[in-house]
Amino acid sequence: MDLDALQAKWAEQDRKLDASLRLNRQLLKITYLNRAQSALQRLALGLGLEAAIQLVVVVALGSFLYDHIAEIRFALPAIGLDVFAIVILISLIRQMTLALQLDYGKPVAAIQRQLEALRMLRIRYIQGIFLTATLAWTPMLIVMLKGFLGLDIYRILNKMDHGIAWLVGNLLLGLAIIPLALWLSRRYSDRIKRSRLLRKFMRDLAGYNLNAAADFLSTLSAFEQDAEA
Amino acid sequence: MATPQQQERFQALIEEHKKILYKICNTYCRNRDDREDLAQEILVQLWRSFGAFDARCRFSTWMYRIALNVAISYCRRESVRARHVLSGDERLLNISEEATNPAEELLLLHQFIDRQDPLNKALLLLYLDGNSYQEIAEVLGISQTNVATKISRLKQTMKQDFGD
Repeated sequence: MDLDALQAKWAEQDRKLDASLRLNRQLLKITYLNRAQSALQRLALGLGLEAAIQLVVVVALGSFLYDHIAEIRFALPAIGLDVFAIVILISLIRQMTLALQLDYGKPVAAIQRQLEALRMLRIRYIQGIFLTATLAWTPMLIVMLKGFLGLDIYRILNKMDHGIAWLVGNLLLGLAIIPLALWLSRRYSDRIKRSRLLRKFMRDLAGYNLNAAADFLSTLSAFEQDAEA
Repeated sequence: MATPQQQERFQALIEEHKKILYKICNTYCRNRDDREDLAQEILVQLWRSFGAFDARCRFSTWMYRIALNVAISYCRRESVRARHVLSGDERLLNISEEATNPAEELLLLHQFIDRQDPLNKALLLLYLDGNSYQEIAEVLGISQTNVATKISRLKQTMKQDFGD
């Protein structure tokens, strides 16, 4: 079989297609097109909303920190949480910028590279959030009880037997959950078949999707540089 | 907000180049529902980018770029997509039996295309559609030499796979 010879047959099939292909004009109506939103537009909107909420969290934590700067037991967890919240906010803004900068009219290799970079950033973000969240919940408990209810968890725990040990234990548990979550997601990411979303989440967490994205980027690099090799 | 003239022009251009849409959907998706979803995603993206289309450029080159970018991303996406399917009986692409029953050689060609990665699929599609190396290079964003090397390699692979 020769590719050039097949080109002629392909063109012949094209002519047949031309005669029989009917594009449903109803689907081409602009009202439908306007109603439908592309995945990237939805992603950018979602990220914008997340970023707005995150900004409120950063400001609220900053305000809490300002009020309790002299009390190290409250300031320290608040600083940790605020740094965490700022990192999340920066990542969200980066993702949003990347999503909005995409111009599908640009050459395929360039756009696919940008899309894959966005995909990798998104996966790292999900991994980071989930894995750090297990560590963040203890300082969150300290800050939220004080901030919303005016309760000092250290005093409450001091009155209880092994109260502070319980707090430290929670921090250590948070640390231990990270490898456990990674192990579980690697073990069960392919078995969860009912929900594509859950399967994707598990594969993101396990890093499989990150590897797939990295693989595609190397394929893309090879594709772009083939002639130079 | 798009003017009625813009809408009409867009519809006319799509009608004129609908084969690109059909061939890309057919090359990247086996399943009919997926093909329709992909076609709709491509149309939405084309319409959203239409304002930025430079009329001095060829519409087909611009359409290939957008359609291929959307198709490659569509195939690589694993997440659940919100469906924007219109009423059940409306079908985007209606093709007669005659046109969808290619000769055996063409079937083998389709199988060969199927085995390629998304980027080589795009390259083959553009080549088979009779685009010049320069046009292929413009759409894909690689050099003409690279296009020539890849085409030659694909020809060799095809010969090895199917013999003469």
